[in-house]
Amino acid sequence: MNHRTLRMTSPRQRAIAEFVLDHLVWFMLATVLLAFSLFVPNFFQIGIFANIIEQSTFVGVMAIGLAIVIIAGHMDLSVESTAALAAMITGILFCARGIGLGITLTPEWLVVPVSLLMALAVGAVIGFLNGFFTIRLKMNAFIVTLASYIWVRGLVVAISGGRSAQDLSPSLRVIGIEQLLYVPLIAWIAILCFAVFSFIMGRTPFGRHITLIGGNAVAAFRAGIKVDRLMFISFILAGAIAGLAGWLLAIRTSGATANLGTGMLFNAFAAVVIGGVSLKGGVGKLPGVYAGVLLLSSIHTAINLMGLPAHYTQVILGLLVLAAVLLDTLKLQIRQRFA
Amino acid sequence: MNRLRRLLTASIAIAAMTAVAPAFADSKGKIYYMVPTLLDEFQTESVSSITKFMGDVGYEVVTLNADNKTDLQQSQMNDTILQKPAAIILAAVDFNALAPSIEKARAAGIPVMIFDRQITSTPSDLTSVAGTVEIGHVAAGEIQRLLTEKKGGVKGKILQVLGDPADPYTLDIQKGFEERMKEFPDVQIITLPAMQWEASNAGTIVSDQLVANPDIDLIFLHAAHLSVAAVAALEAKGKKPGDVMLISSNGAPVGLDLIRKGWLNVEVEQPLYAQAAALAMFADKVVNKQEIKPGTYKVLGLDSVLTIEPWGPNIKIPGAAITKDNVDEARFWGNLKAPADKITPVQ
Repeated sequence: MNHRTLRMTSPRQRAIAEFVLDHLVWFMLATVLLAFSLFVPNFFQIGIFANIIEQSTFVGVMAIGLAIVIIAGHMDLSVESTAALAAMITGILFCARGIGLGITLTPEWLVVPVSLLMALAVGAVIGFLNGFFTIRLKMNAFIVTLASYIWVRGLVVAISGGRSAQDLSPSLRVIGIEQLLYVPLIAWIAILCFAVFSFIMGRTPFGRHITLIGGNAVAAFRAGIKVDRLMFISFILAGAIAGLAGWLLAIRTSGATANLGTGMLFNAFAAVVIGGVSLKGGVGKLPGVYAGVLLLSSIHTAINLMGLPAHYTQVILGLLVLAAVLLDTLKLQIRQRFA
Repeated sequence: MNRLRRLLTASIAIAAMTAVAPAFADSKGKIYYMVPTLLDEFQTESVSSITKFMGDVGYEVVTLNADNKTDLQQSQMNDTILQKPAAIILAAVDFNALAPSIEKARAAGIPVMIFDRQITSTPSDLTSVAGTVEIGHVAAGEIQRLLTEKKGGVKGKILQVLGDPADPYTLDIQKGFEERMKEFPDVQIITLPAMQWEASNAGTIVSDQLVANPDIDLIFLHAAHLSVAAVAALEAKGKKPGDVMLISSNGAPVGLDLIRKGWLNVEVEQPLYAQAAALAMFADKVVNKQEIKPGTYKVLGLDSVLTIEPWGPNIKIPGAAITKDNVDEARFWGNLKAPADKITPVQ
């Protein structure tokens, strides 16, 4: 298809092409799922699809906050360690064994909102610090959040003494065990988060302004948008959402270990990039990020089922990110030709 | 100006938080312990037990954590050699990559003791190990017993969850386990690694495999903290204690708790306290470069065999299988009751 042919396409064809380009990651997901269902033994069954959705929970939730900061034109490398800290604090307070203090509340269900609020608060504090150094002190976000990535993980080791907390309160564990339509409640929480934040980012002034800021902060400032305030909020949000991811992680593993969540940052980054969020800021939609997370989980699961050495996961993951960036570049070129 | 003031205040606050200088007491000398990571309970407890036992025999221990990074541990070794300590205790991140550092330390006159992770490619002054391959052997023996009890013979399907596939520790356990299971053709072993020893990765593997292979009889995990996530995954699939047999290794407190709750059948212990105590028993001889004689020594009540190997004196402490019958015994480090009695140096 050459330049001339593209310009001669009908509006209907153009609309279809635009739709495909906008939802490319979903088509990739569908293709991958179809291929795995056909060629990977035991893949095509409801239990496996439920597992994929469940396994997407933690990286997925983490990726929401990361995507918001990236869309705003910044970077947050601290989300993984923030999640680990929130998980460890949840574990220490509400686990009955190991280093857990076994705190109980009356009525027992109160432990759910209280632990959730604590995890969110822990994350929000880390996000606030990141925002303070980056926005108020004008320090580089990459360096600030890299420092947080290191010191927050160090804090996890320090407060746990390298030990683990186990046997989480049954009121919390129920969220990890109970299912709705074959899918555990923790995964529904992740889906709900994606729905809520997709709405916020796509349909509210806050989301639109964040996208505008990421695209051109100077123009947004001149248009009267409170750039610093919104970017500060995006850091706090990313931290709080990472806190939520940690809370869910503690529920899934019935406690916390000092290395909990290790490696998730890079999966979250990969999901964000595959999902179509531009690392330059100003471009990206959260449903695409969710598709990216599902795609990664599908690949992990397929590799588990095929019994391939796990090293292949990383090779495939790396190639996939590269392919996603390549596709993104192609998408831009194709759009320019349509224009 | 305001920004400058804020920057200064923040910098001073951060510097103040990190500038905490430790106080050192008089001792026979400093021994540096190079711990591979502080992200697992075995290593964490090894720090406190080595510090305690070495303190018993008059040495002060300084611990350096390599965060599972070989290059960092190599740099730490270089830095430590310049400090000229009485000795170095090394639990290597990578068994072979640290060999040149050991040679460098010994060439500088600093004795090197190897803790837990055996290095056979170069001589050292004392090695105290349980034997990671042997842990695999013990696990295989217990698994054969469990399968026979349940199925009337050594047959069935086993899911083996390794730690990080780049860690020789887990690969050695796998080697020991699989060489003892080779003779049982009716046993199918599915092996998958939990990347970076991360618990939720183990949970994910168990979740997937329970769906793909619902007839799994037994799950063997290479660390106790991985079994916590495995149990959470089993619970989420509606399983009860005993539905799927579980066995893990290293003897961490989490594993012992899971035995008490009925989820875990066996935990293969690494005798951490005895391994650490053995180093302290021979510390004077190592530091003073005296001869270490082969033979059987009682280390915290365990009969341990010291042999002179091509890589130097090597004391092997027997690992133990922990079950619900003996789980509460204080000798298991997972009960976190470090022996209160002082270690006596070997004369």
